[in-house]
Amino acid sequence: MAKITESIRNEVREVVYGFFAEECEVDISRINDKTSIIKDLDGDSLMFLELIEIFKKKYDLDIELKVIGKYAVKHPVATIGQLIEMQLLIIEHENKLLELDK
Amino acid sequence: MAREVVITGMSLITSLGLTIEENWKSIINGKSGVKRITLFDPTNCATQIAAQVPDEFEALSKIWIKKRAASQMTRVTRMCMTAAKMAVANSGMNFDDTDRSKCGVIMGVVNTGNSSVEKNTTTQNTVFKSMTNAMPAWLSMEYQLTGPNFAVNTACASSAYAISLGYQMIKSGQSDVMIVGGADSIINPEEIRGFNALYALSVANDPPEQASKPFSKDRDGFVIGEGAGTIILESKEHALARKAHIHCEMAGCSITSEGYNIMAPMNDGEGMAFSIRKALENSGIQKEEVGYINAHGTSTELNDRFETMAIKKEFGELAYHIPISSSKSMLGHTIGAAGAIEAIITILALENGILPPTINYRIPDPDLDLDYIPNQSRKKEINVALSNSFGFGGHNAIIVLKK
Repeated sequence: MAKITESIRNEVREVVYGFFAEECEVDISRINDKTSIIKDLDGDSLMFLELIEIFKKKYDLDIELKVIGKYAVKHPVATIGQLIEMQLLIIEHENKLLELDK
Repeated sequence: MAREVVITGMSLITSLGLTIEENWKSIINGKSGVKRITLFDPTNCATQIAAQVPDEFEALSKIWIKKRAASQMTRVTRMCMTAAKMAVANSGMNFDDTDRSKCGVIMGVVNTGNSSVEKNTTTQNTVFKSMTNAMPAWLSMEYQLTGPNFAVNTACASSAYAISLGYQMIKSGQSDVMIVGGADSIINPEEIRGFNALYALSVANDPPEQASKPFSKDRDGFVIGEGAGTIILESKEHALARKAHIHCEMAGCSITSEGYNIMAPMNDGEGMAFSIRKALENSGIQKEEVGYINAHGTSTELNDRFETMAIKKEFGELAYHIPISSSKSMLGHTIGAAGAIEAIITILALENGILPPTINYRIPDPDLDLDYIPNQSRKKEINVALSNSFGFGGHNAIIVLKK
């Protein structure tokens, strides 16, 4: 369980923006929290998994993919902002993510 | 009235170049694309040569494929994707103006090339890189096509099967436009050692460009090639409506099976002759009309002998008057891509009135006594040509093309 500080929030945003700019070959200035991952960036669902792996390593997270999968079914992600919020929840709650829905 | 099928687009990526123009210029000048292998160190292989696609392909593929998608494709899948997009551009097709449910993709895929020489394979992309349906799948996504979409594997006849099946889809009225072809590379140590164990590959490593010698008495096996070829098949009605350039007509085809042996063709070319007969029947073409045959011509003892016998069996005395050549003498054997690449060379022969040569034809084999267009291309206007493909496992396909 990590407490989400402003510094972590900024760091996650920076990684997510940079990742999509690099992978989708778009200028980072074209990306904001309302940007649609599929419609605006031509992204794919695999990118979400790749980002989880990046953050798992970066913050040494104890989280199983099936937990994220179950949570994502109820809380689908469409925009960059939603994806950042989801990543922050994963960092904060790790394997206890599903308890948020109780 | 039966629907006619025409060819409105095509593209080639081979050891001789990355465009139709580059390829055709080298082919009619009898150049070989065979060199010492550089994709890996072949020192420990009996065969150390192959017809590799030039390194410039990497830059070309970046023009046609987005980085994100490219990271989930093998080099071979990128060859397929690049060639297909160039063929669509060549056809002038705008899918926004077409009913996408009547457009499809069929690719001949033996394997995707996710071998030990493939770079940047990770646990997250290995499935996408290995899926044999990846090539047609990526293409349908690229153009949002919702018609038939699949890969077909019939070994060295795979892309000829893809063309034949695409033809039948259009002929039956199911589709108006089909992107068909194939891509392949087996230039890796595992496959080379496997084919060496079957004594199927040439081991005449020096000089490399003289190793592939179809129909010549000193032939000692095939030389591996790699590449991609794509054809845009279209109903004539559809092509005329959008004022497309028509390269030629696809008059018919045959796809048959020998039901005989996993490696060897049927004795005396019986199975091959049957395939030729069925293709002529299917297309309504008379034997006398055939002006050129692009042979399977692998440079192996059995294929070249039996293919010659098959042509004699089917055409009789006429066989001696039909020019025949093997593009594999220059491009090596591109396996799953061979049927499409060689069909395209046959189309270029029809369009340009120039028949490509069989290079490295040095020593006539007394039993192989047909006109193999030895060593130099030949100017000759023709109206009908066949492209032969025969695969391990007895998969045969003949494409009939007409001006």
